[in-house]
Amino acid sequence: MKNTLYTALAIVALSLSLFSCSGDDNNETVSGNGKITLKFDNAFGANDLILDTQGNTTSNSEVLKISLVKYIVSNVVFTKADGTTFTYPKSKSYFIADESTAAGQQLQLTDIPAGDYVKVKFGIGVDEAQWKLGASGQGDFLAQADAAGMMWTWAAGYKFFALEGTFTSPTVLTATPFMIHTGKTGTDYNYTEVTLDLPTKALVRSNITPAVHIITDLSKIIDGKNKIKLSDNNMGGMGAMIMSGANLPLITENINGMFRVDHVHND
Amino acid sequence: MSRYMLYLFCLPRQTKKDIASIGAKRQLLYFLNQKIMLKIKIFLLLLLPLLWSCSDQDAEYVNIPLEFKVPSNFPALAYNIALNPPTEKGFELGKKLFYDGRLASDGVVSCGFCHIQANAFTHHGHTVSHGVNDAQGTRNTPPIQNLAYQSIFMYDGAADHLDLQPLIPLKSVIEMNGDLNAILEMMKGDKEYQKLFAQAFDDGAITTENMLKAMSQFMVMIVSSNSKFDKYRRNEAGGTLTSDELAGYDLFKSKCASCHATDLQTDNSFRNNGLAVNPFVNDVGRYKVTELTTDYYKFKVPSLRNVEVSGPYMHDGRFGTLEGVLDHYASGIESSATLDPILKQNGKLGITLSETDKKQIIAFLKTLTDHQYLTDKRFSEY
Repeated sequence: MKNTLYTALAIVALSLSLFSCSGDDNNETVSGNGKITLKFDNAFGANDLILDTQGNTTSNSEVLKISLVKYIVSNVVFTKADGTTFTYPKSKSYFIADESTAAGQQLQLTDIPAGDYVKVKFGIGVDEAQWKLGASGQGDFLAQADAAGMMWTWAAGYKFFALEGTFTSPTVLTATPFMIHTGKTGTDYNYTEVTLDLPTKALVRSNITPAVHIITDLSKIIDGKNKIKLSDNNMGGMGAMIMSGANLPLITENINGMFRVDHVHND
Repeated sequence: MSRYMLYLFCLPRQTKKDIASIGAKRQLLYFLNQKIMLKIKIFLLLLLPLLWSCSDQDAEYVNIPLEFKVPSNFPALAYNIALNPPTEKGFELGKKLFYDGRLASDGVVSCGFCHIQANAFTHHGHTVSHGVNDAQGTRNTPPIQNLAYQSIFMYDGAADHLDLQPLIPLKSVIEMNGDLNAILEMMKGDKEYQKLFAQAFDDGAITTENMLKAMSQFMVMIVSSNSKFDKYRRNEAGGTLTSDELAGYDLFKSKCASCHATDLQTDNSFRNNGLAVNPFVNDVGRYKVTELTTDYYKFKVPSLRNVEVSGPYMHDGRFGTLEGVLDHYASGIESSATLDPILKQNGKLGITLSETDKKQIIAFLKTLTDHQYLTDKRFSEY
């Protein structure tokens, strides 16, 4: 009798707690603002990226040792489950992702309206509309980019994406420098926007800051939809310097396919 | 000027004696307890706003817009002036930056170091210029005039917005070798810059945005539109051309204006005008920016205003005289894959020019000299 009573009580207590949990979700009011963190986790293929020492092999049997990875992320837009979007204020939306610093691996965005978000969109580089405004709307970003080495000196322009290091290949036997810089050239603008689905919803609340883990697969830069051989761009054996011309639109297309959201934490 | 001084004059003698014997703080208390204080309080209250405005004149300064009119004989404006309208303080700030050597890594090579007003803001006598550490450049200093009417800048078109053009010489290792962040730090610590930025921009912020906008305001206002030629074109006093000059203008229109078009003498295109390639430099011109093989050795068609004072000529300053330039067009053209078709018509290279033709064209070119612009104190360093 006593046991039955206790069991019954236990069952009731358990049910109450379980039901009240789900009850809380239904009754929660979604209001106010919160923050989201976008984490850019640089990888090469299935491996985490380790700067300098790790050899990374492409489908063309070129082996890359990467010493620098930086890119400008901008124009961030979030989409909610109901289809409505939130555009992060443009003038605040220009960031420099940088593998070599802790601060450069995650971008924290503030004053995001609370809600359940299912998609994130961002641009790589400075968009053409902003570029055409000249200095207007830049704020301090030119100086930031200069400090990060993300500006060209031979032309007035930003580097949208920078990847540097050394490589070897079946035809290049000693470690030779390479630099890949994308940005606006005389013929192409080379800005691209990436839209990613979030595998689980990012729940922004005043007391929850979701972290969206994005994996950037750097192997795709020269080994993506378009295959580019560093060895073919090694003028006089002095290094593969890909910074302008017809390669850039191809690389930009590759960059567009380089990102995916691995997971989302809501805590 | 102390508040106390003003109302000391109106006080009765006894009160003045009292003041003399009491400390400053207690003076105020003493006054506040007098019957006449009400009158004085009212007097003070009325006076106070005047005093505050006297001492804070700077904070109340309202930035005056500068007038910018397109001369009737000029082509359309290219710069978006609504986004960055020239103002008195914006112009003043831009000018200060233009002549400030601290923007360069050596504290000496300002913009004005190579861009000298008397030579239409070119570097007199220099084929190419030398920057920080005496680094030798590869190109001749271009003039600063009427830039608001151009949409693309530098001999190879490496900049397509006036606001952003200064970044090239600022950051170039062989020119000013500047560091944007070091420049910002310098300006933030300089009282003059602090004051000017606060007066020139609504947000008063010392940022690269505002720095470049100020420079653009200065450059946009550097207009050359009052040469003898302009006065002729607008039927103004002082615009009578001599017979040689008129003949030269006719020759110019028929032989030169297909590239040197409009009253600014440029169609803003990039062309190969048959210069022999200097093998030591091999300046590929526009190709550097576009990497299109059709752009090899093409350079921007320059405006010819003030050519009388802006020599030497061409992208590398190779011709020391206008006669040398015309000799090149008449008999010095080198053929190549990208030579402009205009300079190779009916199998003949170059432009047919007699010695009289050359003399008259040069007479005409000299009418493009604008003494008002060359000596305008608004643009001057001193």
